[in-house]
Amino acid sequence: MSTPPANYRPEPPIYEIRVKGHLDQRWTAWFDGLTVTTQSDGTTALAGPIVDQAALHGLLQRLRDIGLPLISVTQTDPGDDPGERPASH
Amino acid sequence: MARALLETKLHVPRQRRDLVRRPDLGHRLDGALSSPLTLVSAPAGFGKTTLLTQWLAGTASPRAAIAWLSLDARDNDPALFLAYLVTAMQKAAPGVGATALSLLESPGTSTEAILVTVINDLAAVDGDVVVVLDDYHVIDARDVQESLAFLVENLPSHVHLVVSSRSDPALPLARLRARGELVEIRAADLRFTAEEAAAYLNDVMNLALTPQDVASLERRTEGWIAALQLAALSLRGRDDSTAFIAGFAGDDRYVVDYLAEEVLQRQPDDVRDFLLHTSILSRMTGPLCDAVTGQDGGSAMLAALERANLFVVPLDDRRQWYRYHHLFADVLRARVLDEQPARVAELHRLASDWHARNGDRAEAVRHALAGGDFNRAADVVELAVPELRRTRQEATLRRWLEALPNELIQVRPVLSVAYAGALLIYGELDGAEERLRDAEAHLEGAGRQGRASAGSPPVTVVVDRAALPALPSSIALYRAAQARIRGDVASTMAHARRAIDLAPDDDHLARGAAAGLLGLAYWTLGDLEAAHRWYTEASVRLEQAGHLSDVLGCTIAVADICTAQGRLHEAMRTYQRSLTLAAAHSPLRGEADMHVGMAQILREHNDIDAARAHLNTSRDLGEHAALPQNRYRWRLVMGRLRQIDGDPGGALQLLDEAEQLYISDYFPDVRPIPAVRARVLLAQGRLDEAVRWAHDRELSADDELSYLREFEHLTLARILLARGVLGEDCWNETTGLLRRLLDAAERGGRAGSVTEILALQALTEQARGDGQAAIALLRRAVTLAEPEGYVRIFLDEGMPMTSLLQLLAKQDDAPGHVRRLLSATGSGGPRVSASQGLVDPLSARELEVLRMLGSDMDGPEIARQLVVSLNTVRTHTKNIYAKLGVNNRRAAVRRSNDLGLLSRDQ
Repeated sequence: MSTPPANYRPEPPIYEIRVKGHLDQRWTAWFDGLTVTTQSDGTTALAGPIVDQAALHGLLQRLRDIGLPLISVTQTDPGDDPGERPASH
Repeated sequence: MARALLETKLHVPRQRRDLVRRPDLGHRLDGALSSPLTLVSAPAGFGKTTLLTQWLAGTASPRAAIAWLSLDARDNDPALFLAYLVTAMQKAAPGVGATALSLLESPGTSTEAILVTVINDLAAVDGDVVVVLDDYHVIDARDVQESLAFLVENLPSHVHLVVSSRSDPALPLARLRARGELVEIRAADLRFTAEEAAAYLNDVMNLALTPQDVASLERRTEGWIAALQLAALSLRGRDDSTAFIAGFAGDDRYVVDYLAEEVLQRQPDDVRDFLLHTSILSRMTGPLCDAVTGQDGGSAMLAALERANLFVVPLDDRRQWYRYHHLFADVLRARVLDEQPARVAELHRLASDWHARNGDRAEAVRHALAGGDFNRAADVVELAVPELRRTRQEATLRRWLEALPNELIQVRPVLSVAYAGALLIYGELDGAEERLRDAEAHLEGAGRQGRASAGSPPVTVVVDRAALPALPSSIALYRAAQARIRGDVASTMAHARRAIDLAPDDDHLARGAAAGLLGLAYWTLGDLEAAHRWYTEASVRLEQAGHLSDVLGCTIAVADICTAQGRLHEAMRTYQRSLTLAAAHSPLRGEADMHVGMAQILREHNDIDAARAHLNTSRDLGEHAALPQNRYRWRLVMGRLRQIDGDPGGALQLLDEAEQLYISDYFPDVRPIPAVRARVLLAQGRLDEAVRWAHDRELSADDELSYLREFEHLTLARILLARGVLGEDCWNETTGLLRRLLDAAERGGRAGSVTEILALQALTEQARGDGQAAIALLRRAVTLAEPEGYVRIFLDEGMPMTSLLQLLAKQDDAPGHVRRLLSATGSGGPRVSASQGLVDPLSARELEVLRMLGSDMDGPEIARQLVVSLNTVRTHTKNIYAKLGVNNRRAAVRRSNDLGLLSRDQ
């Protein structure tokens, strides 16, 4: 049997959340250390590992609370560095 | 008030004078006064609260009573949420919610039952009531959301709920919308139009901007009010408005970042630091700000910020408490976290200290957790445990404990035991025992705390030393409770006894709870005497501990046990005593149950009208006055009354409902509803169905007998008897089973069962043709039944029993109770009229003889008919003549006709 040990924790998935407007770098700490990358299309990508769904929803709530219009939420492959991807359109 | 509530949360925020008037939105909000629900749903900074206060001050206040509640994250505890909601309503409409607030203090009342009392109170209010829930988006607890949904669905038509939220609440919005019962104001409605933006910037803020500048600001902010406010603050005192606006309009930055930067840069350093450092506070007052900033003059600073429109919102009229506008607070918090990350924990520690010193433990815990100071949080939680228990905020306690690292709880026995208790409240066994073991391991160490050395086991921490003496008994008690949940009677008893041995003398609650568990265990084992003794002890202790609702729970057990012991009068007295207790603290959960218990005993006495009256009283008291079992017990008794009414269909329907609603609450199921149902079927002649029930239950006459199955076996005996009557050869089974049941009931001290079994034995012998034996057995049964007033135990057996009673009545030495039984059947011997018009009324027997004197029977025939000697008949006759004042048979008959002594009989 290949049961994982009790303290087994899978690598947390990487999420990328895009919002409208350019968000200042100073928000990094507020958003749990996610990378804040501004895009040339006037949006901002917040990206990084998010441990579980509760953490993701907590994050979305924080975005809601500062009135940032949400554009998309995607889960990306670990290994991709979302910060270096070109702005897509 | 028993619970510390923040007055500021119930305060309608003061309306600023410098506002843009929004008459269109006001008119739409007027629709709230004819709608059950109004939803103002939009992101932060859209002016939701402002719009509502404007509307309340304008059109709403003169037309309705206003209840206001500003919610925060703590309100995710249903007990706290309800306390605030009900208090807010009470402020608006005095007289509403008194019942609900007292029920909130008594353990175990369902939220729905509490809300029903509130709804009933509201229904009695004259005129409209508007209930505003501001910032509802902070609520994520399911049980709180469900409470609100229940309220929305059941509000009286003159009560209107208004909810403001950043996200749509979990309410049946689509349904309400379809029914036209929802007024909605959303972001698109709230955005400032170009005209409103102009009015705000130029009329209210006096910025004298050109129409082009106003238009580009409106475009750039998309009418977002918070952004326009920031823009106005940035523009104040600037000469280069147009250039500034052009720069802003051409920038992609998040508008709040851009503008907040501008605003903050223009503040003097002391103001800027004050804003950043106090941003971690969810509410502010001068001394608290001073404690956090390490400066003086917090009160003056707050007042200055308010004057300068710098995003502080006053929370009361006395200018004592303020908070930041939520959106701005987030901006400041993110900034202080970015600029002075090391400082944040310290700020939270200072805030936590201040709140702990000033009595707000919840806020002290919140800050300690936010600052990552778990030890400090654990200290405060430990001290808060008794208060949280008393106010039933188990949800809060649990959330805090879950937020603390496990290693920290493990070394704190007070917290470990509290954790186990918080789990068991929800019936969760997982992890509870582990907590108790942690506590035990550290209890020994409690005496030598603080003397840690490297390599030694973790040091025990106790902050609330006053809680220490009660811990060992609490541990034993929780173990007993766990064993009960698992159904392990022996362990329940062992742990409960240990709890009593360990409990301090004055720990009435622990002793009462443990005694109750012992009573329950003995009851389950069928040791009624011990069960009665322990339950009585539990009642006394629980009453001393002030847990009156639990006393009523014990009363049901005590009365049920008395009934099994054949002590109906004592059972009745027990109910009456507890009803007196309940009446003094009405409404008390369990009060309704007392009436159902009394109805059950009155039914046995065949006092049907009184039984029905008690059932009605029970129903009228409402669900909030009832323990969980009452719903099924009420239907069970009502069903049995229906049967007496000759409505077996109605009886069966009620029994089916009772079965659906059955909840043991750990009581042994000594009178299973399906067995009661089988008896009703049997009485209807539906033998096949009754047989099928016995088959499904795998009942047989050879079963090993136990108290817990006695009711089922007595039902089986009736089925066997019915089969025997129909000609099946099963007499040996029947008599054998009844003999063994009798033996078991006598040994168990269950006089009620003994009476019932003797009656069944009598019916069996009669059916087998042994009339002598039948009469002898019935005589024993009736003699036993007389002192406690049993009636239905005989009457429920129907015609065969009536005939047998009539035979018994003809015996010379028939017990007096027989006549009462026969008169209750309405078909038996002569009725004794209460007003015979005689100084010395005729006895039932004499009336019977008198009737025969009116016939053409002669003396010997009468003697034969009554199965007595001719001499006895002569004695009766002589007495009758004397009482009637006559001296011959014809005169006696004429006189009795004149007096109407025999007119209503037969």
